[in-house]
Amino acid sequence: MTWASFLLCLATLVWAGSILHVEAQTKSPPAAAAPTAPPSAFAPQAGSAPKSSGLFGGLFNWVLATQQSLQRELATSVRTLKTDNPLAGAFTLAVLSFLYGVVHAVGPGHGKTIISSYVVANEKTARRGVIVSFIAAGLQALTAIALVGIFAVLFNAPGIEITAWSNQLETVSYALIAMVGLWLLASQLNAIWREWRGAPADSHHHHHGHDRDHVHAHHHGHAHAEGEACDHMVDPRSLAGPFSWRKMMAVVFSVGIRPCTGAILVLVFALTQGVFWAGIAATFAMALGTAITVAVLATLALGWRELALKLGGESSKFGTAVWTICRLGGAALIFLFGATLFVASLGPARPF
Amino acid sequence: MRGWLLSAASLIALVGGGFAGPASAHPHVWATVRSEVIFGPDHQITGVRHAWTFDEFYTAMALQGLDTDGDGTYSPEELKPLVEVNVESLKEFDYFTYVHLAGDDDNLLKLKAPENSSLDYDGKLLTLHFTLPLETPVDPHAKPVDIDVYDPSFFVAFGFATEKPVQVSGTETKDCIAEVKKPDTESAEDAKALTESFFSQLGPNSNFGSQFAQTVVVKCGDAHL
Repeated sequence: MTWASFLLCLATLVWAGSILHVEAQTKSPPAAAAPTAPPSAFAPQAGSAPKSSGLFGGLFNWVLATQQSLQRELATSVRTLKTDNPLAGAFTLAVLSFLYGVVHAVGPGHGKTIISSYVVANEKTARRGVIVSFIAAGLQALTAIALVGIFAVLFNAPGIEITAWSNQLETVSYALIAMVGLWLLASQLNAIWREWRGAPADSHHHHHGHDRDHVHAHHHGHAHAEGEACDHMVDPRSLAGPFSWRKMMAVVFSVGIRPCTGAILVLVFALTQGVFWAGIAATFAMALGTAITVAVLATLALGWRELALKLGGESSKFGTAVWTICRLGGAALIFLFGATLFVASLGPARPF
Repeated sequence: MRGWLLSAASLIALVGGGFAGPASAHPHVWATVRSEVIFGPDHQITGVRHAWTFDEFYTAMALQGLDTDGDGTYSPEELKPLVEVNVESLKEFDYFTYVHLAGDDDNLLKLKAPENSSLDYDGKLLTLHFTLPLETPVDPHAKPVDIDVYDPSFFVAFGFATEKPVQVSGTETKDCIAEVKKPDTESAEDAKALTESFFSQLGPNSNFGSQFAQTVVVKCGDAHL
């Protein structure tokens, strides 16, 4: 049930954020809100803005429009930092960046699939899924800051070079993700093989009334030595296997070394405006936003698994089946995603 | 039976995280497009001249480190390497420009290497200018000609300018008009793009962006009356 309350909490947070955003918008002086660009196809009132229909059409358009207007407002708020009222400007920037992060993370490259898959395959509760999301987002932010800090600030390298480095890191990240996926898959297969040989899960069939503490203790003790008889039914949850820092950090690292393109753009823009510090602040606010989106998605995925387990009721056979699918499927999905994205990232260099 | 059904449900659960919608692809660069359809002899279209104005963020990124003499401005010499990189790498992406006879999306007309390319910076935004000649001029009198501008992977979001998005130039073109086609909300292309499998959208051949294609239609003579 923890995941449900957590989810509710996050939803409230995001919702509160959007209220804040609306307020920030209405309070900003009209001059700041006026479009600075020449007649643009993406002005809010433009009728020719890209439109799509269909199942997700509305969602696409919303994400698209929101992102574009947020990006424009971000640019405006970075500029106001230098002029009047830098404190208010900084606040607006932080709020905007946070919201940009929330919306932005719906797109690829923020590890939502990888982290969700990892969580569904390995974690008992949402708590660590949330931690993983936050560490990964933080690492992505640090990578972006390091990249721009070293190349743009120290060496004044051209933007093309920064983009090239960012793409290299992306390729390395995808390769690592694929390898981590393979590793997870291998270790899950190995674990399942050992369980299957060691303790047939449904040899006894009785109560299902373990409380969480008990499961926890059981898990830490990990009493499933080979051949040892199991004197009570295995709670399917315990099949998650012992928590492994190495696995978790491998996932976090493989996702985290890919800098967020959005953050790089904000950083470089802030640098050209002479307020690099604001770019750094915005990057962290953005990371907080992406972390929340990824955490919500990972928690949702976990919730689905829990629902499936619950629907299985008393059947431990079923619970084992769900867990087996989740463990193998999650690891396989990580590998497939990593491999697909790796191949895609080997394409020709982008012009922009 | 119930067990299998529920296993299937858990599989769906598994993928749940990944399917935050095929909304996966999303743009990082916005380009406002103004295009010129060039007419040559015999009132045939010989090419397209684009002016793509980038957003502030991409502008900052592109200009980073290019003010080599540190005078605060970007001279044509300083921008030249960027123009070259842009134009050269555009080739791999078909210049994000797809010219075909109306209703015949599959037979794209071949484009030649860009000419007269340049970048200009107005102090706020960067604009890339270049001309794309058609390998063989096409006559829009018989059948309207469509010019689609989009990035299939949707990394770049192209949109026509709200004012003077497209013009015609060159030889006598009185009976020809070029206009931006209103996005066709129920077009077959949308359906095609949306039913594409999830993985294909991630792959190098993703055509996700086609549903956001911006199209110029060139019609002549009776075709537009």
